[in-house]
Amino acid sequence: MSMRSQVYEWSNLAAGGLGLTSVATLRRSVDAQPQVVPANREFDIFIGGIGNNITKPAETTATQFIVIEDIACSAWLGGALQVRINTTDYFQNPDVTDQAGVPGLASPYPRGSSNTLVATSLALTADTNNLLKSFDLYPDIYVLPGQVFQILYSLTTTNADFPAANNTAVVSAFVKYTLYDGPDALIANKLLELGVTINPNNVDWYKRTLIEQQQRSRVAAVATNGGSA
Amino acid sequence: MSMRSQIYQWNSQVGTPIASVVGAVNQAGQSVSIFIGGFGNNITKPAETTATQFVVIEDVAVSPSYFVYTGCGTIAAPVTVRGLIIGAEGATPTGVAGNRAYIQVRINTTDYFLDPDNVGNDGIPGAASPYPRSINFQPCFNLYPDVYVLPGQVFDALVTFYATGATGTTVLNSALMAFMKYTLYDGPDALIANKLLEMGISINPGNVDWYKRTLIQSQSAGPMPTA
Repeated sequence: MSMRSQVYEWSNLAAGGLGLTSVATLRRSVDAQPQVVPANREFDIFIGGIGNNITKPAETTATQFIVIEDIACSAWLGGALQVRINTTDYFQNPDVTDQAGVPGLASPYPRGSSNTLVATSLALTADTNNLLKSFDLYPDIYVLPGQVFQILYSLTTTNADFPAANNTAVVSAFVKYTLYDGPDALIANKLLELGVTINPNNVDWYKRTLIEQQQRSRVAAVATNGGSA
Repeated sequence: MSMRSQIYQWNSQVGTPIASVVGAVNQAGQSVSIFIGGFGNNITKPAETTATQFVVIEDVAVSPSYFVYTGCGTIAAPVTVRGLIIGAEGATPTGVAGNRAYIQVRINTTDYFLDPDNVGNDGIPGAASPYPRSINFQPCFNLYPDVYVLPGQVFDALVTFYATGATGTTVLNSALMAFMKYTLYDGPDALIANKLLEMGISINPGNVDWYKRTLIQSQSAGPMPTA
């Protein structure tokens, strides 16, 4: 199992936290409540201190290679996702200035969700829009061995008092990536050197090529030795 | 029939139903096997492959969730959003409609889905791989590369849910359900699947057939001339 499809889902749901004090938890819990996410600030969905987090920054070891294949987030409140590799932001404006990244409107999570929420008295309702994705992360993003990566979520309007006073909206984000480990990470590096796209098919193709080369050289060695192995 | 497309559907409310009502015996927050977990429809023994079987899991899905908001006081009457229950009457909304369910695949004792810190997580969210699918709930995840269960291995799918509105018998009242699609290779086809695995070729019916054709062609080509 050295090539594995992986996902990470983040939401601002965590147990505890009152008012504008937001908290993070390492494990999801039944009594989680939405935490306030301030506007116009980037939060790492892995270790940003809001919602469900992991124990350390997301990084690849010397024997791992990650290919990020999809990112998506809640479409309301101007939510957007940026990918940062080490200290470099992936999505830039044409004038090479910073931007928030892929908007939830372009890559909504969950797929088919709405970009608005409608508040009614003592009831929870959602708009009936069904957003589809207009963004496809292709080419994929490569995280090379030893690199740190962050997925940064930001809002243009805070989720406090949304959609009405005293409400707190739930926001979420999603990342789909493939983790190549051990020998497959070495092959991924080799494909990168060769300029070949890294995906499971091409890694398998490279393995087959290696096997065929070995078989050919074995046959050649037998022929050189006059038919004896 | 040595390559067979197979499915398994789990409904938490069949047989011994899962309980998620606060105050009752509550399975919320705990992982439950869809095969032998003791809740919903189960099978007679752990799912495993024999020495002559090879299983390729191609899709897993679980009941969807929808994210909304809190701060509406307690729920006066059962409220649904897109057909998913927010919570029981009298409960404080958590901001999640549906079960907030996840599905993890386990091979022997190893969890397949990990967080980036290499710690096992709850698995694929129902919001990313919903079952059933609809206009409101569409997938943004496909299980590629597939998960291989080699001969003699035990496999399992574990569902974890966190929202307390999980009980229900239909999609409209937040039934907690899960789905697994896999292909079972048996007998000679399982041997070919193992061979393809050694060769680094993806195991699917097309490639198994290709390998069979290659064998037939090499047999019909006759013996190689000797020097």
